[in-house]
Amino acid sequence: MRAEQASYTDRADEWLVERVRESADDAAFAEIVRRYREPVFRLAVSLLGQEFAPEAEDVAQDVMLRVHHALGSFRGESTLGSWIYRIAFNRALNVKARARYRAPHVSDQALATTPSQDRGPHDQLQDERRQQAVLACVGELPEVYQSALRLYYWLGASVSEIAVLLDAPENTVKSYLHRARRLLHAQLAERGFDAR
Amino acid sequence: MHDDEAMDRLLRHAMAADAPQLSPAFDALVMRRVRPRRLTPMGRVVIAAYIVLAAAAAGWLMRDLSAASIVVAVAVGVPAAAGASAYVRRLAVGH
Repeated sequence: MRAEQASYTDRADEWLVERVRESADDAAFAEIVRRYREPVFRLAVSLLGQEFAPEAEDVAQDVMLRVHHALGSFRGESTLGSWIYRIAFNRALNVKARARYRAPHVSDQALATTPSQDRGPHDQLQDERRQQAVLACVGELPEVYQSALRLYYWLGASVSEIAVLLDAPENTVKSYLHRARRLLHAQLAERGFDAR
Repeated sequence: MHDDEAMDRLLRHAMAADAPQLSPAFDALVMRRVRPRRLTPMGRVVIAAYIVLAAAAAGWLMRDLSAASIVVAVAVGVPAAAGASAYVRRLAVGH
């Protein structure tokens, strides 16, 4: 069994897809799930936001079921990864549209980040308010900017990893990040905060 | 440039929360929903016994009916049972 599993981990995506299509091979599909579950989850949570991790896991599960269902129609015009990430992106946006009506967009966890100890209570309070405002402003940016920012700053993804997940060239991702920071700066200024 | 660096620092600070993790049961949950449900050998015996008994009971109950009534009963009952079974199976798989 272990040797069989090892033989799947070495195989290319195309081989696994053929196995699932032609012989409904569960082990081949399990290997596809193993390869893509984390990036799909990261992409989903980057679009949904910090307070929606359970929903992001539901999205990841749903995406895998859709992939299994639609693998027969996958023509290989793009890589398996970009096809899966496109499904995940669209699915997460649908869930987000529904979730928006249910919950506020700033997480308690994010708000609880420790301010520096060598500052006075007024400065600490100001820091917390500024961070709260930053997270609220991030939630108002275009979806693709939100995703790029959360992947980069929160989930620690590199520019090249983000480029793969968003199916965009690396320079475009750098430009997303730069424009998102500029927009945030303007939004914070409107709310009376400076970036410092 | 200076503003961009300041915003970079602020974002790193504001988004310093721990990254969420997938639950360890993720793969098992997905595979359970993907796999067609297969009966255990005991389950197959139970289903086979039920089919034999149901056929015998139906034959005994319909012994006094005319041939036309039996044909109508089978023509309505079999597709209805097949449809209900397919519907329940689809619900169980979650598609």
